[in-house]
Amino acid sequence: MKKYECSVCGYVYDEAVGDPDAGIPPGTPWGDLPDDWRCPLCGAVKDDFQAQEENHAAPATEPVAESGPVDDDVRELSVGELSALCSNLSKACAKQYLKEESGLFDRLATYYAGQVQPPEEKDWSAIMALIEQDLGSSFPSVNRVAGDQADRGALRALVWGEKVTRILKSLVNRYKTSGDAMLENTNVYVCEICGFVYVGDAPPAVCPVCKVPNTKITQVQRRA
Amino acid sequence: MHAVRNSSLCTKDCLCLFVCPTGATDTETGQIDASKCLDGCRACVDACPSHAISLAPDDYPPPREKATEVVQALHALAASKAAQERIANAIAETSDNPVERQFARAIAHSSRLSTEDLLREAGYMLPQSVNVRAFLQSLLNGTVADDFPKDAVERLLSTLKPTKSTMREDKNMTTGKTLDNLMEAFAGESQANRKYLAYAEKAEKEGHLNAAKLFRAASDAETTHALKHFEVAGKVAATADNLKDAVAGETHEYKDMYPDFIKVAEEEGNKAAVRSFTYAMKAEEVHAGLYQEALDAMDATDEVFYYRCPVCGNIEKFVPEKCSICGVPGTKFIKY
Repeated sequence: MKKYECSVCGYVYDEAVGDPDAGIPPGTPWGDLPDDWRCPLCGAVKDDFQAQEENHAAPATEPVAESGPVDDDVRELSVGELSALCSNLSKACAKQYLKEESGLFDRLATYYAGQVQPPEEKDWSAIMALIEQDLGSSFPSVNRVAGDQADRGALRALVWGEKVTRILKSLVNRYKTSGDAMLENTNVYVCEICGFVYVGDAPPAVCPVCKVPNTKITQVQRRA
Repeated sequence: MHAVRNSSLCTKDCLCLFVCPTGATDTETGQIDASKCLDGCRACVDACPSHAISLAPDDYPPPREKATEVVQALHALAASKAAQERIANAIAETSDNPVERQFARAIAHSSRLSTEDLLREAGYMLPQSVNVRAFLQSLLNGTVADDFPKDAVERLLSTLKPTKSTMREDKNMTTGKTLDNLMEAFAGESQANRKYLAYAEKAEKEGHLNAAKLFRAASDAETTHALKHFEVAGKVAATADNLKDAVAGETHEYKDMYPDFIKVAEEEGNKAAVRSFTYAMKAEEVHAGLYQEALDAMDATDEVFYYRCPVCGNIEKFVPEKCSICGVPGTKFIKY
């Protein structure tokens, strides 16, 4: 009996145990799971799972491209990044009960969001290309840099970011394949803390990525 | 530290009103008036059954400094996430399919949250930090667009209280009243060192050898104190900067300080003081020149010898026939 681990949230499918809540009896081999079976915690598809033995035998030790020479000047931020920087500082102020300051950073975030120009490519393939680049090279190399510096805060953000990016890849792929059917009779939720996206009828009790209770998970409404 | 209430946790048990010794919590809204709240009292924090009240720090320590490599790597990833948000937003705005728009908004929102988190860890976590202040300041540099909310930035710079610089990365940098105290102690100990040396010489002349020994020991002890105070105050820089500081100090003394002192001593008819000040003034001018020379020749490797006049404090780079300031024979000069 083998075990398979979800690369998004870490849930382990044990063939010996099955997934009785989804009608999968104990002893069901991985190959016999229906193609539309989803991770019971985060909704990831079967392709997002890895067999645990493989996982242990081949840890991610592939060489990673060296980062370029360190430039003293931190590069200019795009208006989109400036907006995110300000919206995050707005939240940081709200956490400190600094209501006025939170509102001021919000104004700056809104200003910069309004400066964003529409991109040349606006389709799902363009998003997928960036996601694949993030997962394929950016996350491994940034993880290595943060690990070298023992920067626990950065490593924490990278763990969340990488898991969330994996679920985005999974969902965008599903949407490209099955189209509106993926969402037609169900809901979509976003965790306000880490950005985890969940497609399902009701959000999980806690976010499978950052473990925040679902009072922080909000539904994205469909507008006519 | 004053108490703050998280309204999303508050279940209106209102025990805070009951226990607050100063009436800082409003009976209507439950909001807490920070100006009435007693620093660190925490009576309401302990009484609240829904854990909705906590104490907010009045000052935050500076965050840990981020390595440049980490900051740059996080910025690169944040840029990619911001680009994903931009594309997803464009789909959400242009698609005529409500389901696709809904999905695109979810992806855009998720990407925004990831960008925020990555930038937060790239050194922008604390609104009060030096980094965020520098960021806000940079928004005001150069030409600012007419519709840019400049007033919001200026208001933030004035209301956000900068982090206390006495902790973490600044632990070696002393500021505030303690810096003043260290410099005052440095001056006092330095004077005590010279004073006890003068007393020790006097005691030796009078034949009180034990008292002389104690004065010399205490004099050296005050030197130890003075040096430590000066170091903790952060006043000992690299040698090039120290030489520049020495040039400035000596120049001030021979150009401004001693000429004024000599004038007053002459008016008051104190000849001994005039002489003492004049020797010092002339010697300081020589010192300033030597410090400047040493600064200009910092990379030179040839060994230099200095010779000091024990009477007036003149310093030469050779043994003169007699001191150019006070006339004492060159044989009295002390070599360094």
